[in-house]
Amino acid sequence: MTDWNKNISTDQIKVGDKLPDISIPITLQRLVMEAGANYDLSLFHHDKEVAITVGAPDAFANSFFNMGMYERLLREWAGPNARLKKIGSLKMIKFNGVGDTVTFEGVVSKIEENIVTVDLISRTSPTNITTTAFGIVQLNEVEGS
Amino acid sequence: MATEGWGKQGTWEETENFLGKVIGVSVGADAVELGSIRKWLEAKEFYAPIHSDEKAAVEAGFKDIVAPHTMAFTYGLPAYFTPEKPLEKMGDTPRQIPVPVIFDVPAPCKLSFATSIDIEFYEDMYVGDKITCTHKLIDITHKTLSVGEGAFLTQEDTYVNQKSDKVARVLLVIFRFNPPVNE
Repeated sequence: MTDWNKNISTDQIKVGDKLPDISIPITLQRLVMEAGANYDLSLFHHDKEVAITVGAPDAFANSFFNMGMYERLLREWAGPNARLKKIGSLKMIKFNGVGDTVTFEGVVSKIEENIVTVDLISRTSPTNITTTAFGIVQLNEVEGS
Repeated sequence: MATEGWGKQGTWEETENFLGKVIGVSVGADAVELGSIRKWLEAKEFYAPIHSDEKAAVEAGFKDIVAPHTMAFTYGLPAYFTPEKPLEKMGDTPRQIPVPVIFDVPAPCKLSFATSIDIEFYEDMYVGDKITCTHKLIDITHKTLSVGEGAFLTQEDTYVNQKSDKVARVLLVIFRFNPPVNE
Protein backbone atom coordinates (compact mmCIF):
# COMPACT_ATOMS: atom_id res chain seq x y z
CA MET A 1 0.00 0.00 0.00
CA THR A 2 1.48 3.34 -1.05
CA ASP A 3 1.88 6.00 1.62
CA TRP A 4 0.69 9.13 -0.18
CA ASN A 5 1.91 11.39 2.63
CA LYS A 6 5.52 10.68 1.66
CA ASN A 7 7.65 12.16 -1.11
CA ILE A 8 11.03 10.87 -2.20
CA SER A 9 13.86 13.40 -1.86
CA THR A 10 17.29 13.30 -3.48
CA ASP A 11 19.03 12.70 -0.17
CA GLN A 12 17.10 9.43 0.15
CA ILE A 13 18.16 7.94 -3.19
CA LYS A 14 21.28 6.97 -5.12
CA VAL A 15 22.07 5.66 -8.58
CA GLY A 16 21.28 1.95 -8.73
CA ASP A 17 18.30 2.10 -6.37
CA LYS A 18 15.44 -0.13 -7.44
CA LEU A 19 11.86 1.14 -7.42
CA PRO A 20 9.21 -1.12 -5.87
CA ASP A 21 7.95 -3.38 -8.69
CA ILE A 22 4.35 -3.47 -9.84
CA SER A 23 2.94 -6.75 -11.17
CA ILE A 24 -0.39 -6.80 -12.96
CA PRO A 25 -2.24 -9.65 -14.68
CA ILE A 26 -3.32 -9.01 -18.26
CA THR A 27 -6.83 -10.38 -18.57
CA LEU A 28 -9.22 -9.84 -21.46
CA GLN A 29 -11.49 -7.91 -19.09
CA ARG A 30 -8.64 -5.56 -18.20
CA LEU A 31 -7.84 -4.99 -21.88
CA VAL A 32 -11.49 -4.19 -22.63
CA MET A 33 -11.59 -1.77 -19.68
CA GLU A 34 -8.31 -0.25 -20.87
CA ALA A 35 -9.48 0.15 -24.48
CA GLY A 36 -12.65 1.90 -23.35
CA ALA A 37 -10.72 4.12 -20.96
CA ASN A 38 -7.75 5.07 -23.14
CA TYR A 39 -9.82 5.26 -26.35
CA ASP A 40 -7.48 3.17 -28.53
CA LEU A 41 -10.16 0.89 -29.96
CA SER A 42 -7.91 -0.95 -32.44
CA LEU A 43 -8.98 -4.57 -32.50
CA PHE A 44 -5.52 -6.02 -31.70
CA HIS A 45 -6.07 -4.93 -28.13
CA HIS A 46 -9.23 -6.91 -27.43
CA ASP A 47 -9.79 -9.40 -30.28
CA LYS A 48 -7.70 -12.58 -30.31
CA GLU A 49 -8.32 -13.39 -33.99
CA VAL A 50 -7.08 -9.98 -35.10
CA ALA A 51 -4.13 -10.09 -32.68
CA ILE A 52 -3.02 -13.42 -34.18
CA THR A 53 -2.79 -11.81 -37.64
CA VAL A 54 0.06 -9.61 -36.39
CA GLY A 55 1.93 -12.45 -34.71
CA ALA A 56 0.59 -12.17 -31.18
CA PRO A 57 -0.76 -15.26 -29.39
CA ASP A 58 -3.75 -13.29 -28.05
CA ALA A 59 -5.03 -9.74 -27.58
CA PHE A 60 -2.30 -7.51 -26.20
CA ALA A 61 -1.90 -4.25 -24.26
CA ASN A 62 -1.23 -1.08 -26.21
CA SER A 63 1.41 1.59 -25.80
CA PHE A 64 -0.98 3.84 -23.84
CA PHE A 65 -1.34 1.12 -21.18
CA ASN A 66 2.41 0.60 -20.99
CA MET A 67 2.99 4.36 -20.70
CA GLY A 68 0.31 4.61 -18.02
CA MET A 69 1.78 1.74 -16.01
CA TYR A 70 5.20 3.41 -16.10
CA GLU A 71 3.54 6.61 -14.88
CA ARG A 72 1.97 4.62 -12.03
CA LEU A 73 5.36 3.07 -11.14
CA LEU A 74 7.06 6.48 -11.06
CA ARG A 75 4.22 8.23 -9.22
CA GLU A 76 3.93 5.57 -6.49
CA TRP A 77 7.68 5.74 -5.94
CA ALA A 78 8.24 9.50 -6.14
CA GLY A 79 5.11 10.68 -4.35
CA PRO A 80 2.44 13.29 -5.02
CA ASN A 81 4.76 16.32 -5.18
CA ALA A 82 6.87 14.93 -8.04
CA ARG A 83 6.39 16.13 -11.60
CA LEU A 84 6.81 13.68 -14.44
CA LYS A 85 8.82 15.39 -17.19
CA LYS A 86 9.29 12.66 -19.77
CA ILE A 87 8.89 9.00 -20.63
CA GLY A 88 11.41 8.39 -23.36
CA SER A 89 12.24 5.84 -25.96
CA LEU A 90 9.43 3.40 -25.15
CA LYS A 91 10.22 0.30 -27.18
CA MET A 92 7.69 -2.49 -27.47
CA ILE A 93 9.86 -5.57 -27.87
CA LYS A 94 7.32 -8.31 -27.21
CA PHE A 95 3.60 -8.45 -26.49
CA ASN A 96 2.07 -7.96 -23.04
CA GLY A 97 -0.83 -10.26 -23.83
CA VAL A 98 -3.80 -12.01 -22.27
CA GLY A 99 -2.57 -14.60 -19.76
CA ASP A 100 0.65 -12.74 -18.97
CA THR A 101 1.44 -11.25 -15.61
CA VAL A 102 3.54 -8.22 -16.39
CA THR A 103 5.99 -6.74 -13.92
CA PHE A 104 6.96 -3.09 -14.33
CA GLU A 105 10.35 -2.21 -12.87
CA GLY A 106 12.62 0.82 -12.54
CA VAL A 107 16.21 1.56 -11.51
CA VAL A 108 17.59 5.04 -10.74
CA SER A 109 20.24 5.73 -13.37
CA LYS A 110 21.05 9.43 -12.98
CA ILE A 111 20.52 12.21 -10.43
CA GLU A 112 21.17 15.83 -11.36
CA GLU A 113 20.06 18.26 -8.65
CA ASN A 114 16.36 17.36 -8.28
CA ILE A 115 15.98 15.76 -11.73
CA VAL A 116 16.09 11.96 -11.60
CA THR A 117 16.29 9.56 -14.52
CA VAL A 118 14.90 6.05 -14.04
CA ASP A 119 15.56 3.17 -16.44
CA LEU A 120 12.33 1.24 -16.99
CA ILE A 121 11.51 -2.27 -18.14
CA SER A 122 8.51 -4.56 -18.15
CA ARG A 123 8.79 -8.33 -18.24
CA THR A 124 6.57 -11.39 -18.15
CA SER A 125 9.28 -13.69 -16.76
CA PRO A 126 12.85 -13.17 -15.52
CA THR A 127 14.17 -13.51 -19.08
CA ASN A 128 11.26 -12.20 -21.15
CA ILE A 129 11.55 -8.40 -21.37
CA THR A 130 8.55 -6.93 -23.18
CA THR A 131 9.16 -3.16 -23.11
CA THR A 132 11.96 -0.76 -22.22
CA ALA A 133 11.95 3.00 -21.65
CA PHE A 134 13.28 5.66 -19.31
CA GLY A 135 11.48 8.19 -17.15
CA ILE A 136 12.55 11.64 -16.03
CA VAL A 137 11.03 12.92 -12.80
CA GLN A 138 11.44 16.25 -11.07
CA LEU A 139 11.40 15.84 -7.33
CA ASN A 140 9.82 18.85 -5.64
CA GLU A 141 11.09 18.90 -2.12
CA VAL A 142 8.60 21.07 -0.29
CA GLU A 143 8.88 21.86 3.38
CA GLY A 144 7.38 19.21 5.59
CA SER A 145 7.17 16.54 2.90
CA MET B 1 4.67 -6.63 -34.02
CA ALA B 2 3.86 -5.46 -37.57
CA THR B 3 0.47 -4.44 -38.87
CA GLU B 4 -0.66 -5.35 -42.37
CA GLY B 5 -3.46 -4.28 -44.63
CA TRP B 6 -3.79 -0.63 -43.69
CA GLY B 7 -1.71 2.41 -44.52
CA LYS B 8 -1.90 4.82 -47.40
CA GLN B 9 -0.05 3.63 -50.50
CA GLY B 10 2.13 5.80 -52.77
CA THR B 11 5.68 6.39 -53.99
CA TRP B 12 8.65 7.50 -51.89
CA GLU B 13 8.53 10.79 -53.82
CA GLU B 14 5.01 11.30 -52.51
CA THR B 15 6.22 10.46 -49.00
CA GLU B 16 8.98 13.08 -49.28
CA ASN B 17 6.40 15.71 -50.24
CA PHE B 18 4.99 15.48 -46.72
CA LEU B 19 8.32 16.02 -44.95
CA GLY B 20 8.24 19.03 -42.64
CA LYS B 21 4.52 19.49 -43.10
CA VAL B 22 1.54 19.25 -40.80
CA ILE B 23 -0.22 16.02 -41.77
CA GLY B 24 -3.23 16.27 -39.52
CA VAL B 25 -4.89 17.98 -36.60
CA SER B 26 -6.88 15.92 -34.09
CA VAL B 27 -9.43 17.58 -31.86
CA GLY B 28 -9.88 15.53 -28.71
CA ALA B 29 -13.34 14.01 -28.47
CA ASP B 30 -13.85 14.79 -24.80
CA ALA B 31 -12.70 17.43 -22.35
CA VAL B 32 -10.77 16.34 -19.27
CA GLU B 33 -13.28 15.14 -16.67
CA LEU B 34 -13.31 13.10 -13.49
CA GLY B 35 -15.18 10.08 -14.86
CA SER B 36 -12.73 9.41 -17.66
CA ILE B 37 -9.79 9.86 -15.28
CA ARG B 38 -11.31 7.34 -12.86
CA LYS B 39 -11.90 4.75 -15.56
CA TRP B 40 -8.37 5.20 -16.95
CA LEU B 41 -6.89 4.71 -13.45
CA GLU B 42 -9.17 1.76 -12.68
CA ALA B 43 -7.92 -0.36 -15.59
CA LYS B 44 -4.39 0.00 -14.22
CA GLU B 45 -5.32 -0.42 -10.52
CA PHE B 46 -3.71 2.99 -10.12
CA TYR B 47 -4.75 5.07 -7.13
CA ALA B 48 -3.14 8.44 -6.41
CA PRO B 49 -5.14 11.07 -4.47
CA ILE B 50 -3.94 13.94 -6.71
CA HIS B 51 -6.16 12.46 -9.45
CA SER B 52 -9.36 12.40 -7.38
CA ASP B 53 -9.03 14.61 -4.30
CA GLU B 54 -8.81 18.39 -4.63
CA LYS B 55 -7.19 18.89 -1.22
CA ALA B 56 -4.50 16.30 -1.91
CA ALA B 57 -3.80 17.79 -5.34
CA VAL B 58 -3.49 21.35 -3.98
CA GLU B 59 -1.24 20.17 -1.15
CA ALA B 60 1.01 18.59 -3.77
CA GLY B 61 1.29 21.92 -5.60
CA PHE B 62 -1.29 21.42 -8.35
CA LYS B 63 -4.04 23.97 -9.02
CA ASP B 64 -6.79 21.37 -8.69
CA ILE B 65 -7.41 17.67 -9.32
CA VAL B 66 -4.95 16.87 -12.09
CA ALA B 67 -5.21 14.29 -14.87
CA PRO B 68 -2.42 11.70 -15.21
CA HIS B 69 0.27 13.07 -17.53
CA THR B 70 0.11 10.19 -20.01
CA MET B 71 -3.63 10.69 -20.46
CA ALA B 72 -2.62 13.37 -23.00
CA PHE B 73 -2.66 10.56 -25.58
CA THR B 74 -6.31 9.81 -24.77
CA TYR B 75 -7.55 13.38 -24.52
CA GLY B 76 -5.98 14.15 -27.91
CA LEU B 77 -7.85 11.40 -29.77
CA PRO B 78 -10.71 12.43 -32.04
CA ALA B 79 -14.15 10.84 -31.99
CA TYR B 80 -14.56 7.56 -33.87
CA PHE B 81 -18.11 8.47 -34.91
CA THR B 82 -19.45 11.93 -35.70
CA PRO B 83 -22.55 13.15 -37.53
CA GLU B 84 -20.30 14.24 -40.42
CA LYS B 85 -18.84 10.75 -41.00
CA PRO B 86 -20.80 7.98 -42.72
CA LEU B 87 -22.53 5.68 -40.28
CA GLU B 88 -20.87 2.30 -39.82
CA LYS B 89 -22.41 -0.58 -41.75
CA MET B 90 -22.10 -4.29 -41.05
CA GLY B 91 -18.98 -5.57 -42.80
CA ASP B 92 -17.12 -2.26 -42.78
CA THR B 93 -13.44 -2.39 -41.87
CA PRO B 94 -13.17 -1.64 -38.14
CA ARG B 95 -11.79 1.80 -37.38
CA GLN B 96 -8.23 1.91 -36.11
CA ILE B 97 -6.59 4.45 -33.87
CA PRO B 98 -5.67 7.32 -36.23
CA VAL B 99 -1.90 7.42 -36.82
CA PRO B 100 -1.31 10.07 -39.51
CA VAL B 101 2.11 8.77 -40.65
CA ILE B 102 0.33 5.54 -41.60
CA PHE B 103 -3.08 6.70 -42.70
CA ASP B 104 -2.34 10.08 -44.30
CA VAL B 105 1.21 9.82 -45.60
CA PRO B 106 1.55 7.63 -48.71
CA ALA B 107 4.44 5.17 -48.89
CA PRO B 108 5.17 2.12 -51.06
CA CYS B 109 4.92 -0.25 -48.09
CA LYS B 110 2.53 -2.95 -46.98
CA LEU B 111 3.58 -3.34 -43.35
CA SER B 112 4.40 -1.11 -40.42
CA PHE B 113 5.25 -1.17 -36.74
CA ALA B 114 6.01 1.44 -34.10
CA THR B 115 9.63 1.35 -33.02
CA SER B 116 9.78 4.07 -30.39
CA ILE B 117 7.61 6.59 -28.54
CA ASP B 118 8.81 9.58 -26.51
CA ILE B 119 6.53 11.88 -24.57
CA GLU B 120 7.56 15.08 -22.80
CA PHE B 121 5.18 16.86 -20.44
CA TYR B 122 4.60 20.59 -20.02
CA GLU B 123 1.35 22.12 -18.71
CA ASP B 124 -0.79 19.98 -16.43
CA MET B 125 -4.28 18.94 -17.57
CA TYR B 126 -7.24 19.94 -15.41
CA VAL B 127 -10.98 19.26 -15.52
CA GLY B 128 -12.53 21.14 -18.43
CA ASP B 129 -9.36 21.33 -20.53
CA LYS B 130 -9.85 20.54 -24.23
CA ILE B 131 -6.84 19.01 -25.97
CA THR B 132 -5.93 19.38 -29.63
CA CYS B 133 -3.03 17.54 -31.28
CA THR B 134 -1.11 18.69 -34.36
CA HIS B 135 0.76 15.96 -36.24
CA LYS B 136 3.83 16.78 -38.32
CA LEU B 137 6.17 14.52 -40.31
CA ILE B 138 9.68 15.58 -39.28
CA ASP B 139 12.00 12.82 -40.52
CA ILE B 140 12.26 10.04 -43.09
CA THR B 141 15.23 7.67 -42.82
CA HIS B 142 15.45 4.83 -45.32
CA LYS B 143 16.75 1.58 -43.89
CA THR B 144 16.89 -2.14 -44.56
CA LEU B 145 16.21 -4.29 -41.51
CA SER B 146 15.89 -8.05 -41.13
CA VAL B 147 12.12 -7.73 -41.59
CA GLY B 148 12.48 -5.92 -44.91
CA GLU B 149 13.29 -2.70 -46.72
CA GLY B 150 11.55 0.54 -45.85
CA ALA B 151 11.90 3.75 -43.88
CA PHE B 152 11.57 5.11 -40.39
CA LEU B 153 8.99 7.90 -40.39
CA THR B 154 9.02 10.21 -37.38
CA GLN B 155 5.78 11.93 -36.44
CA GLU B 156 5.93 14.87 -34.04
CA ASP B 157 2.66 15.33 -32.14
CA THR B 158 2.15 18.58 -30.26
CA TYR B 159 -0.67 18.56 -27.72
CA VAL B 160 -2.09 21.90 -26.60
CA ASN B 161 -4.99 22.93 -24.39
CA GLN B 162 -7.78 25.40 -25.22
CA LYS B 163 -5.45 28.28 -24.28
CA SER B 164 -2.83 27.02 -26.77
CA ASP B 165 -0.50 26.12 -23.89
CA LYS B 166 1.65 23.11 -24.78
CA VAL B 167 0.65 20.07 -22.73
CA ALA B 168 2.88 17.41 -24.29
CA ARG B 169 5.18 16.69 -27.21
CA VAL B 170 5.36 13.18 -28.60
CA LEU B 171 7.81 11.69 -31.07
CA LEU B 172 6.43 8.54 -32.65
CA VAL B 173 8.72 6.53 -34.92
CA ILE B 174 7.02 4.10 -37.31
CA PHE B 175 8.94 1.70 -39.59
CA ARG B 176 7.02 1.19 -42.82
CA PHE B 177 8.41 -1.58 -44.97
CA ASN B 178 7.97 -4.48 -47.37
CA PRO B 179 9.20 -7.95 -46.48
CA PRO B 180 11.88 -9.50 -48.71
CA VAL B 181 10.43 -10.77 -52.01
CA ASN B 182 11.74 -14.32 -51.55
CA GLU B 183 9.78 -14.80 -48.31
